Amino acid sequence: MTGYIVRRILQLLPVLLIASAGIWAMIYAVPGTPIGALVGENATPEQIQAAIQRVGLDQPVLVQFWAWLKSAIVGDLGRSIFSRDPVFDLIMLRAPATLQLGLGATLVGLILGIPVAVISALYPGSWIDRSLSGWSALALGVPTFWLGILLILLFSVELRWLPSASTYVSIFDSPWGAIRNTLLPALTLGVYVSGIFARFLRASLLSELKADYVRTARSKGLKERDVVGRHVLRNALLPFVTVVGLMMAAFIGGTVVTEAVFTYPGIGRLLIQAITQRDYPLIQGVILFILVVHVVINLMVDVLYAYIDPRIDYS
Amino acid sequence: MTGGMQRSLDVVRRLLSRRGALLSVAYLVVVAVVAALARWIVPYDPVVQDLTSTLEPPSAKHWFGTDELGRDLMARAIYGARTSLLTAAGAVVIAGTIGVPIGLVAGFFGGWRDAILMRIVDVLLSLPGILFAMALIAVLGRSQLAALVAVGITGIPSFARITRAQVLSLRKRDFVMAVEALGGSSTYNMFRTVLPNSWSPLLVQVVILSSVAILLEAALAFLGVGIPPPTPSWGEMLRTGKSFLYEAPYYAVLPGIVLTLTILSLDTLGRTLAWVLEERHELGEEADAEAEGSRS
Repeated sequence: MTGYIVRRILQLLPVLLIASAGIWAMIYAVPGTPIGALVGENATPEQIQAAIQRVGLDQPVLVQFWAWLKSAIVGDLGRSIFSRDPVFDLIMLRAPATLQLGLGATLVGLILGIPVAVISALYPGSWIDRSLSGWSALALGVPTFWLGILLILLFSVELRWLPSASTYVSIFDSPWGAIRNTLLPALTLGVYVSGIFARFLRASLLSELKADYVRTARSKGLKERDVVGRHVLRNALLPFVTVVGLMMAAFIGGTVVTEAVFTYPGIGRLLIQAITQRDYPLIQGVILFILVVHVVINLMVDVLYAYIDPRIDYS
Repeated sequence: MTGGMQRSLDVVRRLLSRRGALLSVAYLVVVAVVAALARWIVPYDPVVQDLTSTLEPPSAKHWFGTDELGRDLMARAIYGARTSLLTAAGAVVIAGTIGVPIGLVAGFFGGWRDAILMRIVDVLLSLPGILFAMALIAVLGRSQLAALVAVGITGIPSFARITRAQVLSLRKRDFVMAVEALGGSSTYNMFRTVLPNSWSPLLVQVVILSSVAILLEAALAFLGVGIPPPTPSWGEMLRTGKSFLYEAPYYAVLPGIVLTLTILSLDTLGRTLAWVLEERHELGEEADAEAEGSRS
């Protein structure tokens, strides 16, 4: 087990290294000088000097990359060209908002997705299965930004129940305010996710239902509800855990669009703002942050899966 | 050759016998034809402004209404279809021409070539597709070409992986071994023996990737980093329409319907195609097994 984890990490290191080299090399690829990309055109001589010092711009390229990487590892991602605040602080300010949206959307996805999957798997091929599969296809096919617009039109413009632009209110500070502000974005993203959950869990349930132990359970006279609830669901949920995990990683991408629809102040909005303002240290910082989170979640899911399913061979 | 034609016709016939696929193909053909003939059938120029009639609701004159600059929204939606379809086609070509050879070489040779190529694919997958595209656009600047390249590159990993898996399953089959034994070069074997036998999963991938590419292009435009205005694009229309939800709700709704139906059609088509090909494949395998049985 430990060997498996170590091997997975060793496999990831070159990937992380190449990807971060790409992110760092960004400042050489953009128009203008690298120093301009790092501190902006209106920087004071002191700021320019500080930046040259920090990433060693007067040194050979590999030394520069190493200096940049070393500071990035300890959380020093430079300063935003616009606000002059440390990039790391700006990211940490927005991260809780994205986390809350992501968890909310997962919750919505599970609430909508699990019943859909269980019902369709119980009656495969029936009209109810076909309509629920149609629902999943719809949930996956409708672009989240359009669904978000439709929800705003319904709940904000027509019914006037919820705000059309969301702000971040922490669930711990004001549960009601948090729900009011997070509900629409979480629903938008959650509907999409429920489609993935439903499709995957249905397939997983159907293959479990064919297993020998199900026939045994049925032949010893167990009620169908107990067969499914006690035996099948438990086994089918196992691979499902990884899908939920992978979705959490993919959220980081999905939230970018959803945050834009609802002007929700998360990491995604920060990135779009950085790209429109050509704030390269901020762009680099946000992308590096997302890269690391994405890769780490994927690794954790792999390890978790290997851990909960003893049938997986680590060697 | 005629046998191949016969098989293709058979697949098409079976595909179109399914209602979902038939409706999808019909819708896509209409969109493609209207987009191709736009110049002759659309009475309005999609970029000409008419400030005397801004934000008009749908009418007999303007079926989709007009935008904040008085441009006809239906004309913009139709020219937007061109943008979407061309981006999808371009992205599939980019992803295929890079992804398929990567998968072929990695699967065929294995070893260090496989390790290096698959690590490159891992790097491409280390960020969610849309973020990878955004990072590329941040470097290349916002342009039509940048959007196309960004969407295309995000499609490379799926082509590479599918081709590689296909090669691995064919690698030890008799007909591939036979070509090798007869002294056929690796290049010949890869492109003339393995690739022609891998077309069905790749074809499915082409359809699915088209739908992903259209969605991604629209999402980038919606975020304001896609194809720059005034080129009409569905995502850009939704982005601007979102600012007029109170005054002109149809603005963001109608182009969204066109976009959603396009994505749903391609998705349905891709899944039905996969199903039909798999069914055909299974039937083929059964026939093989029977033949095997009668021989022994």
